[in-house]
Amino acid sequence: MADSEQTENSGTEITITVKTPKEKQEIKIDENADVKKLKELVGEKFKSPIEQLCLIFAGKILKENDTLKQHGIKDGLTIHLVIKSANKTTAASPGPADTPTTTTTPSVPPSRPAAPDVSASPFGLGSMGGLAGLSNIGMGSANFMEMQQRMQQQVTQNPEMLRQMMENPFVQQMMSNPDVMRQLMMANPQMRDVMEVRKSEFYIRNPEITHMLNNPELMRQTLELARNPSMLQELMRSQDRAMSNLESIPGGFNALQRMYTDIQEPMMNAAQEGFGSNPFSGLVSGDSAGTQAGRENTDPLPNPWAPQSGGTSGSTSSTTSTSTTSTTSQAQGQFGMFNTPGMSSLMSQMSSNPQLMQNMLQAPYMQSMMESMTANPELANQILGTNPMFASNPQLREQFQQQLPTMLQQNMMTNPRALEAMQQVMQGMQTLNSEAPGLFPNMGLPAGMAPSFPPGMVGGSTTTGTTTTSTSTTSATTGSTTETSSATATTTASGTTGNMGPTTTPATPGGVDPFSNMMTQMMGMMAQGNASQPPEQRFANQLDQLAMMGFVDREANIRALQATFGDVNQAIERLLQQR
Amino acid sequence: MAQGVLVPRNFKLLDELEKGEKGLGDGTISWGLADDADNTLTRWQCTIIGPSKTNFEGRIYNLTVECGEHYPKERPKVRFNTKVRMNCVSDNGEVNSKQLDELKNWQTHSSIKNVLSGIRRAMTLKENKNFQQPNDGTFP
Repeated sequence: MADSEQTENSGTEITITVKTPKEKQEIKIDENADVKKLKELVGEKFKSPIEQLCLIFAGKILKENDTLKQHGIKDGLTIHLVIKSANKTTAASPGPADTPTTTTTPSVPPSRPAAPDVSASPFGLGSMGGLAGLSNIGMGSANFMEMQQRMQQQVTQNPEMLRQMMENPFVQQMMSNPDVMRQLMMANPQMRDVMEVRKSEFYIRNPEITHMLNNPELMRQTLELARNPSMLQELMRSQDRAMSNLESIPGGFNALQRMYTDIQEPMMNAAQEGFGSNPFSGLVSGDSAGTQAGRENTDPLPNPWAPQSGGTSGSTSSTTSTSTTSTTSQAQGQFGMFNTPGMSSLMSQMSSNPQLMQNMLQAPYMQSMMESMTANPELANQILGTNPMFASNPQLREQFQQQLPTMLQQNMMTNPRALEAMQQVMQGMQTLNSEAPGLFPNMGLPAGMAPSFPPGMVGGSTTTGTTTTSTSTTSATTGSTTETSSATATTTASGTTGNMGPTTTPATPGGVDPFSNMMTQMMGMMAQGNASQPPEQRFANQLDQLAMMGFVDREANIRALQATFGDVNQAIERLLQQR
Repeated sequence: MAQGVLVPRNFKLLDELEKGEKGLGDGTISWGLADDADNTLTRWQCTIIGPSKTNFEGRIYNLTVECGEHYPKERPKVRFNTKVRMNCVSDNGEVNSKQLDELKNWQTHSSIKNVLSGIRRAMTLKENKNFQQPNDGTFP
């Protein structure tokens, strides 16, 4: 990290705080400058002759021939200044201990984390300073997906919808579970970055922030406040005030701005992504987090074939939110995602409805998904491998696999002919579907079973779907049969009375409502699953890690892990702060 | 909240290092690693600016602090490089841990900063402040 920052900054201007016991000044200087140059600048600022200046950094007296780099002086750090009185030359001559300073080779990069550079905001968010309202969040930054932007925009423009979403029992249940909340937040790469990488520099400046991120109540509030526009406004206002107070802290405005871009926005984004995306993302992260959800995902899922608008919108937004986080680090999660019922349902719907397929492929979020697939052929293969449709038919899979790379490379989204070919493939599958109906029972999918999504999920994801994919979804539903809407209607109706309480009954595929059962079970696991275990068991791994790092107080470790929902990094942060 | 959490050595020292570089404190004491490449975080170089209205005024004192393997359970060794005359400093520049409160009452949450400000405070004590200070020079 130190390396990259140094190359990035070569020749750039850094800001150093120069402090005497009485006053302090900020000095801007080229990072490659030497101490002599710094002294000249300091002399100007403090209106003292250079000969009288004595600069001390981290216990060392800086000599004129040294360079700033040699001492590891970086942006945001502080140098102490002593202004000697003119008549005396009593400053202690540099002792032998100074020798190591001068012999230090400048090429050795400091072995500790480099100080943050204001301009080097990791998300390219630097351009987004200012305390704009929610509507600005995510806009204008290339780093956020188009889809996310649209979603946020729509959500903000339509508080009613947001409120509906928040009042959905499923969402509420999720929100009352800190574990799930944390997973949601951590699923966002920006948010994770904030919480894990940047925190060390932040908690020095603003201990409240770490606290904020570690505080389940506050996290929940963040989501909840969106429910209530006036509360949101109030919060924004008080936050503004708190920020203006922060300006008096050394490092002041820079830290403030950075905090805003690095913390508040991703937090809001993450929050919105959290409730905006859908239950699936929660399931995915729950899965990859190593809870016991794996089994459900590998099972063939009941009825992924029936057209299901709720399922479609759910899975598409899940697709996007997950592919936002794409790249290798999230590959695990992505693989998991394609195992989700929503995704299967999407696939099946695609095969049974070419029109929908086309619409979907034209949607921007599909493009980005495809792009990430192109960039990662392995992923594409994985998708094929995990899709039950292909899984049960090796030939079909092989065929598809052969076609896939070409398809992706040709960028079929912009190539109508390729799209057509794709449709043909899909039609072929449809034919297969009708010609070989026996295929489906083989997969444990009772044909014609009433599609039923768990309570809550339909409501939540449908809402999201309509906002995010308004164009494509509407046309898609016209393409599909009316059975879709009626099916959704029934589910929603039953959903309101549905059993939200966590059940431990194992799912019985082929039962009256197996899918719903399974989902409920999954939710139950999310809600209480590992929470029912004693913390020592639940955090056994983390406790070991902490112990290995030298945190010997097991009690305190457990407390910290509980407070941070098992995040070792944050637990350490917390332990360090507590002393 | 939880009191008495023993922070592992390196975590604590990295924390102290960061504070030193950020210039926490009133600017009269400063501390940092003697050698930036020292991954063991053992040898620290510190300065104390002589307090005004004492015979220490106008001088910058250079000290070496050594944080051993068992820091912070074990108190660090503090030594003046710049010649100084104080009650708690022996002839070879070592700070006598029995005569400086901050070292005598060393606790696991004490820090290099505490020691330095303790020494500086000692400079303002009656017993020390009027000592005739030696000419510039360093301890052998």
